[in-house]
This record gives sequence, structure tokens and C-alpha cells, in this order.
Amino acid sequence: MKALLKISAAIDAVNEKFGFIANYFVLFAALISAGNAGSRYLFSESSNGWLEIQWYMFAGMVLLGAPYTLKMNEHVRVDLVYGMVSERTRIWIDIVGGVLFLLPICVILTYFTWPWFVESWKLNEESSNAGGLLRWPVKLLLPVGFFLMALQGISEIIKRVAALEHVIDIDFKYEKPLQ
Amino acid sequence: MSWISEHLAPLMFGGMVLFMLVGYPAAFSLAATGLFFGFLGIEFGLIRPDFLGNLTFQLFGIISNDLLLAIPFFTFMGAILERCGLAEDLLDSIGQLFGPVRGGMSYAVIFVGAILGAITGTVAASVIAMGVISMTPMLKYGYSTRHTMGVIAASGTITQLIPPSLVLVVLADQLGRSVGDMYAGAIGPSLIQVALFCAWVAILAIVRPQDVPALPLEARTLSGWPLARKCLRGIIPSLGLIFLVLGTIFMGLATPTEAGAMGVVGAIALAAFYGTLTWPLLYQGMASTMRITAMVVYILIGARVFSLVFQGVGGKVWIEDLLTTLPGGQLGFLIFVNIFIFVIAFFLDFFEIAFIIIPLLAPAASKLGIDLIWFGVLVCANIQTSFMHPPFGFALFYLRGIAPPSVKTSDIYWGAIPWVVLQVILVAIVILWPGSVTYWIDKGSNVDPSKIQIDIPQIELPPIQFDAPTPR
Repeated sequence: MKALLKISAAIDAVNEKFGFIANYFVLFAALISAGNAGSRYLFSESSNGWLEIQWYMFAGMVLLGAPYTLKMNEHVRVDLVYGMVSERTRIWIDIVGGVLFLLPICVILTYFTWPWFVESWKLNEESSNAGGLLRWPVKLLLPVGFFLMALQGISEIIKRVAALEHVIDIDFKYEKPLQ
Repeated sequence: MSWISEHLAPLMFGGMVLFMLVGYPAAFSLAATGLFFGFLGIEFGLIRPDFLGNLTFQLFGIISNDLLLAIPFFTFMGAILERCGLAEDLLDSIGQLFGPVRGGMSYAVIFVGAILGAITGTVAASVIAMGVISMTPMLKYGYSTRHTMGVIAASGTITQLIPPSLVLVVLADQLGRSVGDMYAGAIGPSLIQVALFCAWVAILAIVRPQDVPALPLEARTLSGWPLARKCLRGIIPSLGLIFLVLGTIFMGLATPTEAGAMGVVGAIALAAFYGTLTWPLLYQGMASTMRITAMVVYILIGARVFSLVFQGVGGKVWIEDLLTTLPGGQLGFLIFVNIFIFVIAFFLDFFEIAFIIIPLLAPAASKLGIDLIWFGVLVCANIQTSFMHPPFGFALFYLRGIAPPSVKTSDIYWGAIPWVVLQVILVAIVILWPGSVTYWIDKGSNVDPSKIQIDIPQIELPPIQFDAPTPR
């Protein structure tokens, strides 16, 4: 169990780093978008590259940030039942859900999206818009994001099993995220 | 076995409800329903094995959707505005302005809610800012607890209906309509809602004056020129922001996404102006925005996996048949759908409804000849109640968090009920009087919003039969 918890801690640390990067994408994407709109009207300057980098960053904040969001337990749930059951049952729900829902999904989506990236990489595919960006970086984000999510899923399962066996004591408190 | 294969669509719908009820994060429950029934569908020969390969394109379509970028931008803008000091200034000055009137502070809360609503696109920003600021003084000056809770929660949620609402952006995306038209359509119902709220306060002032007293003399610290100056100090930057975001959209200068980004810049500038701009404030805003965006878009990913398979097993046709054969034609459909959404909003939050339920309803609405803008605005007004439903409504939940212990939870719930009724009345008005929506569409946007999007990159979505390198 000790070794498993070490793995879990390592995964958490990695995804925390990616979450950190994803935070900055929010600010940069907003500044670039506003700057781009401004320069289009002030100087009639605009480029597809700058437009595309915005949604590359959007993809980054979603796909790289979601595993960290899972760690923070901020993916929204239907808490009708979840809110009424005991702490122990909730941990069980998360373990079973992690094994039956999250892991298969993320593995399959990684498996589906990876060949797509490889093809784009081999072709050195570029955007069809003039002045657009290379496509493979954003296509790489898909399998990487789902793979990181699978890892985070494993980490969450380890922590919850450890909590069930009273190896560790963590508060898996869930609050509906504010919107 | 053949019974199962013939009824796979209803079974899948039931499976979705069951999987979601378990309480595991909805995005994964949805996607798992999709995959599970996808494999069943392949097993029964209902869908071709390479059908699931289309998922990749759907996922790419989500992350390259320019409109969805509005989600982080509006959320970020709200996160900054919530703590920058604008709401304090507005409430303080408008509260003083209406102070001498019975129910004056309630009117102030409603108007400030509407102004904040016209600036920001997210509900959290409004409810949080107004709850923190106005609850204590209202209770202190003798407003009844129930009324105070209700008016704050309700006015905070007006944001959802008033352009530039994020909810309307997402609905426009899901219904395939232009955001500009959606915004224009929402103007009428927003005005009606503010009028309804004010009318209710006016009625209270006559029927139960002890619930909504006028400000006592000693609390009216400002008058004349200083009061006017203070009002202007709150209102001028607000108007500036409203122009920056809404004005640029309606005049065709910016796409909704760009307007959101400019709103972010405007909010940062405003926070700097108020002297509240700090790095922790900015970074917290970035971090919470990232997590909300990731959470929301993951629901959309899950919903796409679900709906792709659901469509494959004939679910869309099943739902459409079910809904178009409802008695009463258009009106029957609308009444049924609104009651359904009202009830389901007790359990699902807005984004789940928008991504799961709306795509199922839209084709049927369209088939019945219902204008989808009207439909979208109607749904938006309806979902607004979901923030106010006892006991799960987010606005109430939040008020519970900041209210002093002396305020009973039951007071918060009871306080919300008249306002939920007012919102239901609004929904009824919009159903019976479609002109309240369409009037402003013809008037408001003489610019064709589709022409704004000059440089937006095309989403590279190949046709669905594209021969992709599908595994298997």
C-alpha cells in the first residue's frame, strides 16, 4: 500500500504541474483574444495564427487541467443519492465509478485519439487557414489529456482504497462547484 | 434478446439516468453509458463498429469550437468583478438613492442585480457579490429575513437571462442559432422579469410594510451632490463595461468570445482603478476559471459520447416521436417541456441540461415549427429557477454559507418560493406571448451577427463517413 501511495503522490504532483500551466492558459487566451480583436479594428491587423492559438490554449486548459480538477473533486455530480449516503459508501461509489466508468473511458479515448495525432505528426499537417498553425500539437493534447486523466483516476482510486483500510485519512469532501 | 435490441434507445435513456444517479462525476457516467450501450449496439448489429471512430472528430470539434471559449472568458471576468469593489459601490449608492422609499433596498438589489447582469455572464459573480454586501445592512434595517434572502437570491440569478449571459451562449451553440439573435431575444423577457420583481416589492410595501421598511434617517448619510457623485462613480464604469461587452456584440464589432475577452481586460482595468487588483485575486480567478471550464467541457465530452451512440441506436427518432405526438401541438409540447425542465432542474445543473437534454428536445421543437430562439430564451428563463429551487439551488446554498447562524435554513427556503413563482409567471408570459422575444430580434440587431465572424477558423470536421484510421 505504501508503494501505491507513493505512485499516487507522484501522479498528483505531475497533474498539479499541468494544472498550473492550464491556469496560465486562461489569462493568456483572454489577453490574446482581446488584443487580437483590438488590433483588428485599430490597425486592421489580424492573423489566423493568433486566432488559432486561442483555441489551442482552450484545449490545453480543458485537457491538461481536467485531471487536476478531478484531484480537487470539482467535477460536478448528481448528488441526490451521493449527498445522502455515508462517507464510506461515497468512497465506494468513487472506487467503483473510477474502475468501471473513468478508467475504461479514458483508456478508450486515448486509444482512439492517439493514431490521429500520429498521422498528423507524420504528415506535418498544417491548418487549412492561411497563416495557421501546425496541427499536431493540439491533436497531441487529446491523447495526453485522456492519459493524464486515466492516471489521475488511478491515483484517486489508490487514495480511496487506502482510506477504506485506514492507511490514510483524507477528507473527500464534495461541494457543488460554483458557476 | 430481440426485445432488448428493439428497445435499446429507451433502455439507454434509463441506463443514463441510473448511471448518473449513482453520484459519480456526471461527465464520466455519461460517457460510460455511451460506451456501454455502444458496445451493446455493435453486438446487436445496430451500429457499425467504426461508428465509434467518429468520436475523435466530435472531440476535436469541441476543443476547436471558438464559441466555447466564451466559457472561460465570461467566468474569468465574473471572478474578477465579484471581488473588485464595483458591486459595493453600486449597492451603496443606489441603496441610498432609493433609501427613503419603502422597499428601497430591495429595489436597489434588483437594479444592481440587473446592472451586474448586463455586465457579466455568470450567476456566481452576482449572487456572491450581492449576498456579501447587502445581506447584513438589510437585516440590520429591519427587512424580514425571508424577504431579504429571496430578493438577493433572485436578483443574483437575473444575470442568467440578461445578455451577455453565458447560458445564452451555450444554448445558442447547442441550438445552432446565432448568439446575437439569442441575446436580442432575451432583452424583452429580462425587462419583464425586472418589472415583475419590482412589482412584487411594490405589492409587499403595501400589503406587508413591516417586511420592507424605508431606510431610517440616520442611515441616509448621503444626499444631493455627494450622492450623485457616488452613484456616477458606480454607474459610469458599469456603462463602460456594458458597452465593451454588449455594445461591441450588438454593433457587430466583436464576436461574443472576443467580447468576453475584452470584458476580462475591462474587469482587470476596473479592479486596478478601484485599487483592488492584486496577483492573488487574479491568480485565484484564473485557477477557479480553469477548473470550471475543464469541468464543463468534460460534461460536454461525456454528453457527446452519449449522444453519438444514442443517435446510433435510434434514440433521437424515439424521443422525437414521443414529443411530437404529445397532445396539444406547440402549446402542449412547450408546457410539457417546461414542466419537465423545471422538475429535472432540481437534480441537474444548467450545463448538464444544456448538453444532455436540449439536443434531445431541439429537433422535436423545430419539427413543431417552434422558433428556436424563442425556445432557447424560454428554456433559459426556466432554468433560472434551478438556482432557486429549495433545497439544492446553488443561490440558496451559497446564501446559507454566508448568512449568520441566526438565519434559519427554512427561512432561506421559504424566502425563495415567491421569487420562484415570479419566475414561473415569467415563463408563462413568454410562452403565451412570443412577441416578447421576437420584438427585439427584429429591432435590436440590424447587424447580421453571422457577418461578424470574419476571421474565425473553420472547424475541420470531415463528413461523418470519413474513412478514418479507426482502431479495430
